[in-house]
Amino acid sequence: MSDKNKGLSKVREIYLNRSQRAKELKAEGKTIMGYPCVYVPLEMLTALDLVPYQTCGDMREPVTEADRALPSSFCPVMRNCLDCALKNKNDFLDGMVTIHSCDPQEKTARVWESYTSYPYFHFIDMPITVRPEALEYFKSQLNDFRKTLETFTGRKLSEDKLESAVKFHNRQRALVRELYELTKPSPPGISGTEIIQVLKALTSLPVVEGNDLLTEVISEVKNRTSGLEKKPARLLIWSSILDNTDILQVFEAKANVVMNESCGGIRAYRSEVNFTADPLEGLADYYLNEITCARTFRQATLGEIRKDYARDLQSRFGYLKGIIREWKINGAIMLLVRYCDPFAFEMPSLKDYLDGIGVPSTYIEYDYTIGAMAPLRTRVEAFLETINQ
Amino acid sequence: MYFAGVDIGSTMTKVVLIDESDNLLSTIKGPTGPEQRQLANEVMGQSLEQAGLRIDDISCIVATGYGRLNVPFADRQITELSCHSRGVYSLFPNVKTAIDIGGQDAKCMKINNGKLTNFVMNDKCAAGTGRFLEVTAATLGVRLEDMGDIALKATKKIQISNLCTIFAQQELVALLSRGEKLENIVAGLHDALASRVAALAKRLGIEPDLVLTGGVAKNNGIVMAMKESLGCELLVPEEPLLTGALGAAILAKEMYVKALAEGEVLPKESRRLEKATFFSEEQR
Repeated sequence: MSDKNKGLSKVREIYLNRSQRAKELKAEGKTIMGYPCVYVPLEMLTALDLVPYQTCGDMREPVTEADRALPSSFCPVMRNCLDCALKNKNDFLDGMVTIHSCDPQEKTARVWESYTSYPYFHFIDMPITVRPEALEYFKSQLNDFRKTLETFTGRKLSEDKLESAVKFHNRQRALVRELYELTKPSPPGISGTEIIQVLKALTSLPVVEGNDLLTEVISEVKNRTSGLEKKPARLLIWSSILDNTDILQVFEAKANVVMNESCGGIRAYRSEVNFTADPLEGLADYYLNEITCARTFRQATLGEIRKDYARDLQSRFGYLKGIIREWKINGAIMLLVRYCDPFAFEMPSLKDYLDGIGVPSTYIEYDYTIGAMAPLRTRVEAFLETINQ
Repeated sequence: MYFAGVDIGSTMTKVVLIDESDNLLSTIKGPTGPEQRQLANEVMGQSLEQAGLRIDDISCIVATGYGRLNVPFADRQITELSCHSRGVYSLFPNVKTAIDIGGQDAKCMKINNGKLTNFVMNDKCAAGTGRFLEVTAATLGVRLEDMGDIALKATKKIQISNLCTIFAQQELVALLSRGEKLENIVAGLHDALASRVAALAKRLGIEPDLVLTGGVAKNNGIVMAMKESLGCELLVPEEPLLTGALGAAILAKEMYVKALAEGEVLPKESRRLEKATFFSEEQR
């Protein structure tokens, strides 16, 4: 029988009470740093013995407080995150690291800063393209970030410490990829719902504890004797964020979600930080170039007069082809968070790309609440009926 | 052999009973309403009574629509998109595209030999649905069923710029106080709804034959406005509300016949003609 304090049982407990470990560590004298988005280089926090804690929204929590600060026709994820902050759910934090991953994050960061009073608050101005100049600029921003962290902690962020932190975080990325290997068989060894819980637990723990937990989970899943139920469809979900089990269960009622390409899924773990002479160089390169969020502008060739659409699609979505083949995916759902412009604008091109490689797809909008699951269920089931006949 | 389709929509509940040759034995339409949601069994009971049948006479029952999940006497649940596709195909064998405008959603379906191949639905918003007409009819003080005929008397169409149902209401009040004629406003409303739904259909791509179903298809004004917005011919079934339930009944028959041919018997023992709960699992 599984130990309650190990593996997936432990994951479930953390998922339901995410901030508990951070609060314990705080009581032990650790400094807890919040961050809203996977673009924040956590290695820099870990290197200074700061505990990174991702401040998430809560889909079950109706937004009330954030409405005094933000319009309601605004990114519901950011409204929800801010709402949780304004309801003092994050008041154990010693600081927040925010970043210009998209405009709602940038705008929310300002409101967040002015409505809360953490001892430390930093905003990283992240460029929006993958051009070489952008990389240089981003590196300079990370250097500024390093300086404010050093001033705040009174400690030096040495290259040795940073390199060691990169190793731990790269290990975490490798373990998450190993976890996703377990969804390749049919039926998968682990459900999409369980993976969401694992990943959400990881972002509430220090990296080493997260790695230990991942190791336990992987070994538990590999030793499972009874498999999951095999469903007629193997789905890829492409989204800005899908980090809630209520919504994933709607998909998994009639399909196996074998890949979650979103910020609640594999997106931040698909590749690794390279070790470079200046460690900030490797970090800047990884976070700017390797994370495939629609917020970043990519194009096949710079300076073309008229771009080749097929090549352009390949440069933006080519990585999905390998995923679709390796995980034997037979349907893709483009899950859009309402008002998420970067992903909404990306959707028609992605549809063209998926059509081109012969993968049925549909798009579904949700507003980051659990209020209206019936319309979502109808759309998912109708899509499955089109691919399963 | 007899088969039933039960379509519990957001506004109306529909039941169709057919025999093995697709002959209609009974059709029932009634408001879903907050109470009726608990009472799918009553509508089914009426339908059986009309056909002179008992629940055990029915070989297979398919439930569809938003209320499909908790119809305790259904043997299978299939979404209204697949059911409409099948139902429309049985009435119009050349159908390639169908548009259904219901009480709380609008959907466009691509159909190949009666099978759903692709679809788009409205976002979670009342714009472009029957609710838009219900709310605006109430604001204008006219009966919903009169809206279409009123629109046909229009001498010009007032542009309604707000597709949001709530904002459109405010706009109507302003138009009325400006002295605009009722029929011109109503015609404008129909145009607004039609252009919204047409945009949805164009996203999917329209191929003839194109069929319009759902309660809103009973409104002549909308049919006219849809034809204009889409720029093509539009077929409307005699009973546009029933295509979902009809399709469900036909799919029930096809499922049953296929199972028989494969030597399987679809179990009926779990069937209970009793009160249905409506999405109770979400009322946490």
